[in-house]
Amino acid sequence: MKLKYALLTSLLISCSTLWAEPSNRVFISNEKDDTVSVIDLKTNEVVSTIDIGERPRGIGLSPDQTQLYVAISEEDAIAVVDVATLGIIKKLQSGDDPETFDVAPNGHIYLSNEDDAQASVIDTKTGDIIEVIPVGIEPEGVAVSPDGSLVMVTSESTNMIHVIDTAQHKVVKNILVAARPRGLAFSSDGSLAYASSEVGNEVAIIDTKTLSIIKHSAIDVPNSKPMDIAVSPDDKTIYVTTGRGNSVAVMDAKTLELKANVPVGKRVWGVDITRDGQFLYTADGVSSTVSVVDTSSLKTIKTIDVGKFPWGVVIDD
Amino acid sequence: MKKMKQLGLLLLFIWPQFVLANVIEVTLHYVGPTDGQIWAGVQQGLTEANLQGQFLGQNYAVQATTIDELKTIPTEQVTAILLATDANTVLDVAGLQQFAQTPVFNLASAANELREACLGNVLNIPLSEQMKQDAIAQWQVKNEDTPVHAQGWHEDFVKFAASQLNTRFTRNHQSKMDDDAWAGWAAIKMLSDSVARTQNTDGDAMLKFLKNDLSFDGQKGYTATFRNSGQLRQIVLLVDEDNNIVAEAPLRGVAGGLDSLGLVSCR
Repeated sequence: MKLKYALLTSLLISCSTLWAEPSNRVFISNEKDDTVSVIDLKTNEVVSTIDIGERPRGIGLSPDQTQLYVAISEEDAIAVVDVATLGIIKKLQSGDDPETFDVAPNGHIYLSNEDDAQASVIDTKTGDIIEVIPVGIEPEGVAVSPDGSLVMVTSESTNMIHVIDTAQHKVVKNILVAARPRGLAFSSDGSLAYASSEVGNEVAIIDTKTLSIIKHSAIDVPNSKPMDIAVSPDDKTIYVTTGRGNSVAVMDAKTLELKANVPVGKRVWGVDITRDGQFLYTADGVSSTVSVVDTSSLKTIKTIDVGKFPWGVVIDD
Repeated sequence: MKKMKQLGLLLLFIWPQFVLANVIEVTLHYVGPTDGQIWAGVQQGLTEANLQGQFLGQNYAVQATTIDELKTIPTEQVTAILLATDANTVLDVAGLQQFAQTPVFNLASAANELREACLGNVLNIPLSEQMKQDAIAQWQVKNEDTPVHAQGWHEDFVKFAASQLNTRFTRNHQSKMDDDAWAGWAAIKMLSDSVARTQNTDGDAMLKFLKNDLSFDGQKGYTATFRNSGQLRQIVLLVDEDNNIVAEAPLRGVAGGLDSLGLVSCR
């Protein structure tokens, strides 16, 4: 019995060292001034700014949330930041012009190389690019399924979603969608994926078993050019940034019915949602702000000045 | 058991061929110079069409031909005709009985007459003279002291992923994309995207799809569609004497949007 306690205690201790406490901060990549803005989740104030490297765009966290990854496109690299100290630990080679990426549960980074029509896989432990997968022209959005078995990549100029099987790192299906597909997101159980099409002004739902489109719908918002997508933790709602529509479209995750349209800053791009589903943080490119949207009242409750042309958002909570 | 094994082996060998047999072969017919910017644009479009086709099961070829040869090709073998010729040749080809329901693309001529003719099978990719004049007039309302000219494309155009298209065109063709190159690229690209969506290479089906259901990303903003006149709706770039892009028409606040430029409807 005592042994059991000892084991449990050691297990708990090792867990707490492995899984650091979240920093309760929001990280924003600012494409045009080569920085990352760090916002405190409680006060919604910028608490720090990191000089990150040239043209930061895609942004994400390691599975244990101790490291922040930022694609620095002009340096053909991913900057790795210690979330606790906010210092840059290293820069990983990423292949040409990395744009967007997602991090798999095993820690691998899957990223799109915009100018080379390919997706690359980086082993973050060794820093090696372990696979390069040809995809369509101008690959953009990347999302890894929650169990890590599938990766989806959109190709903007060839209007496809490429589905990659991570076991063999091969494209197993190509799904044609409306013009200029951009953002991708999975439901929490991985059964559905959502894809936005910027020029076609559509959102499509993909069944991840059959890998086919089960529903698609236009977004009835003036000037809408849908970009990034966040899924509510209960999987009932999706939040789609509308680019030049300067808003977040709130849609039913099953029917794609537009439930609300929340105005945010100009040319809104990236979005992330807090773990409890209460708040959205949006990167408003032209306004150089981050908007905080309360998902209960469906109102922007705060607008925060950040760097120039904020692009991506990730929340460490 | 042995039979199962045989069946399995048989399937293993037949399956890849079955998949390959499903590839749609598409030949597009082209009349015009096989050098210069329009041809380079066509080749860029073809490269991109085949990159998409490699994933979705289409294989595209562009066959350069002459008007005389074209007349001998049966209707059912022609998905679309691409003409980098003068306006009269476009009118002649469009008037041929055998191609009455076939898309005939004008890649080169700005002649207003081609739009005013309102032919059901002609698709005009370049700007018309009228569109250019209207765009310049919009600019001059507030900027009469700054002379500009109108272009459909520009090597320094960045927005709407134009810079990505400029980059890959220059990488492949060692020249800068201009109106002509864009017209060649856009025609092939909208054709390949339409074949991928319809899985149909018949000329009449293609013409219907292009005129009614097209939602094309020309990498210059908006989704591009055709007017009844056969003119592609698109923005117009206004360029000053130092070759700088100074504005995009329709200018902000002008009523009618893209339809404030050029002939809008047929009588």
